[in-house]
Amino acid sequence: MELIDSLLLGFSVALKPVNLLYCFGGVFVGTLIGVLPGIGPVAAMSLLLPATFAIPPESAIILMAGVYYGSMYGGSTTAILVNIPGEAASVVTCLDGYQMARQGRAGPALGIAAMGSFIAGTLAVAGLMLVAPWLARFALRFGPAEYFSLMVLGLSILAYLSHGSLVKAVIMAAVGLILGLVGLDSITAVPRLTFDRMELVDGLGLVPIVMGLFGVAEILANLEQEVKRDIFASRIRNLWPSREDWRRSAGPLARGSVLGFVLGILPGGGAVISSFISYGLEKRLSRTPERFGKGAIEGVAGPEAANNAAAGGGFIPLLTLGIPPNVVMALLLGAFIVHGLQPGPLLMTQNPAIFWGIVASMYIGNLMLLVLNLPLIGIWVQLLRVPYRILFPLILMFCVVGVYTSSGAIFDVYLMIAFGIAGWLMRKLGYEPAPLVLAFVLGPMLENNLRKALLLAHGDFATFVERPISATCLGVAALLLLSPLVPRWRARRNTIALEQS
Amino acid sequence: MIDRRRALALAALATLAAVPAAADTYPSKAVTFVVPWPAGGSSDLTMRALAEAASKHLGQPIVIENRAGASGTAGPAVMAASAKPDGYTVAQMPITVFRLPHMVKTSFDPAKDFTYILNVTGYTFGVVVKADAKWQTFDELMADAKANPGKISYGTPGAGTSLHITMEQIAAARGLKFTHVPFKGGAETNAAVMGGHVSAVADSTGWGALVDAKELRLLVTWGAERTRRWPDVPTLKELGYGIVSNSPFGIAGPKGMDPKVVKVLHDAFRKGMAEPVYAEAMRKFDMEPFYLSTADYDRFARETIEQERKLVDMLGLAKKS
Repeated sequence: MELIDSLLLGFSVALKPVNLLYCFGGVFVGTLIGVLPGIGPVAAMSLLLPATFAIPPESAIILMAGVYYGSMYGGSTTAILVNIPGEAASVVTCLDGYQMARQGRAGPALGIAAMGSFIAGTLAVAGLMLVAPWLARFALRFGPAEYFSLMVLGLSILAYLSHGSLVKAVIMAAVGLILGLVGLDSITAVPRLTFDRMELVDGLGLVPIVMGLFGVAEILANLEQEVKRDIFASRIRNLWPSREDWRRSAGPLARGSVLGFVLGILPGGGAVISSFISYGLEKRLSRTPERFGKGAIEGVAGPEAANNAAAGGGFIPLLTLGIPPNVVMALLLGAFIVHGLQPGPLLMTQNPAIFWGIVASMYIGNLMLLVLNLPLIGIWVQLLRVPYRILFPLILMFCVVGVYTSSGAIFDVYLMIAFGIAGWLMRKLGYEPAPLVLAFVLGPMLENNLRKALLLAHGDFATFVERPISATCLGVAALLLLSPLVPRWRARRNTIALEQS
Repeated sequence: MIDRRRALALAALATLAAVPAAADTYPSKAVTFVVPWPAGGSSDLTMRALAEAASKHLGQPIVIENRAGASGTAGPAVMAASAKPDGYTVAQMPITVFRLPHMVKTSFDPAKDFTYILNVTGYTFGVVVKADAKWQTFDELMADAKANPGKISYGTPGAGTSLHITMEQIAAARGLKFTHVPFKGGAETNAAVMGGHVSAVADSTGWGALVDAKELRLLVTWGAERTRRWPDVPTLKELGYGIVSNSPFGIAGPKGMDPKVVKVLHDAFRKGMAEPVYAEAMRKFDMEPFYLSTADYDRFARETIEQERKLVDMLGLAKKS
């Protein structure tokens, strides 16, 4: 069996004591930066990169890869505990994870996030090993038209993201789309909504917006009603997911893993989109969609599995084609080249020890993360007992430091504060931030791909329905959008809408 | 009040007195080198190698400060606005510094706000098609584009990049029309040409591994000479286009630097360029050294500003004023 030989070779590399050490170092640092809001894997990996020049290439890549998937693990922690997404992919984890924490169920939420991450991460590595080259080829069939239709599908789950008024959700999405327009037009390089400010030429950053709308706004809201907070800290119940929690989470975990893995292969924000789509999907499939947004464990399990599987899937185009699907993978590509390696179709044949060593180290790393994270849950939950007057300045400080380190621009700190205030006002008026974030992420990609597809098709809109993948995506989106018109489904949508009052 | 005025006068005197002394003792502390790209990219990594090599000759550490944004102009812009021309802050100058001011309102003027020190390097650009595409040579691709206006599409890493502008120059020279499809960065262009969504891609050497694996075919490179890695592939110059496009970048400081300090920095970086650690970094990222002295680089900068103005006009990207 060629595969088994290859895997044995891989493990012989990954199990070298020095590589185990680097793997552990990587996932440890990754967990830390995932937990700290704002500081994402990109900042941490670029700081680490020069430090890896002296070590062998496979150790360097094992270390850097560990930081990445480690950060995906850690990102859910702050989302659940204090409503601050540790990285962009954790935005949806805030929706139900934080509500679970408020009900004293932070432990099960963290537990299912860790277990879900482990399961999805391991499945993704298995997928990477078995179907990598084939899937990478399939992903190439996604051109601008296919991406556009995929983004439409992504946006069509908007209705499932809010548990309040659909009109307000649409308003928020429109605001998100407009915010996404800021910067140089991606097709003609004409500046839009930049008001002659250099800071705006590159557009608004996702990190300051997300941290402002969720984190800072949460702090402002909590400061208004400090009394309530002590109640949910003292009501911490069981630390582990119950049998019932597991039963509810099994489906979302499986679906989230597959979804994340597949979308992670596609270039362009796979982890973020897959977590959003997973949430929408679970709410759509659930028999009790009204529980979502109020602490449904499915709303944590699905997206967390999706974003971790996407992290694993992202390695596929890099390792098999040399095409990095996101910024983190681009950084990793740089690390490969610095060490004299060219990721691409030849990597697997020319450097099998390195290719399989990395794959094997990801199995080991995922196991390490589980062992590392499960005992930490107890400690994290205890953190909720810290009085809020001590906790909130610390959170605020981490937010400011995190935003500043990720871009090095003080403008982004102001931006975060402004969005914090906006988010607090939105909350008072019953507007939810999640649709805004979804539209902000998808909007620019939607526009860019729409225009590219039309350029290539010489302005013929038929291109979107003539191409099978694109047509399928649009069909599913239409189904989702039209389903409320069918009576049985309308009843369900109404129950969702009713709950706001 | 008098005290403060006197103190200010004294301080002014002190700085005046310190100017010649500062130039004589330069450098007496670490030099900050602003790199206008995120850490970890190819530009950043080669600049780090250069900083390390040059610091040996400077006798002081050269500390990299990454300040990305505004198409690579944020770093130089911040330096022009806030750094003292004392030689302790310099920046890498990407070609967009000369281009962006024609397209949007910028806080800096490339003709006035910098002291140009030396040019160091250029990228290797080239045009690739899928390995099973019908075009074996660049001339065949051009002939097809001439016969079928707008049918041939090409991807670039973005609108207004050197890749886009050079391809339009080529098209204008031969009187033909391509369909330009701007992507975001090099990864997307590779995926687009591999998946057959665009006919060709013009980009820096991100396609290298795919060319070596015979997945993509390299038709032409845009340097002054053939590349070491793909010596069989002709240059645009050889094919009779008379164009060399390598998006050169150099090093500059804020305006008004002491020529003595400029000379010290120039000599250190010039010697650093000859160090093996830098040559090795260049080789890995398929970049070519492209040295211009202080005087030549200054002239080059002014010519480039003018040339970019024309190109931006030609492409209809000029800002409305």
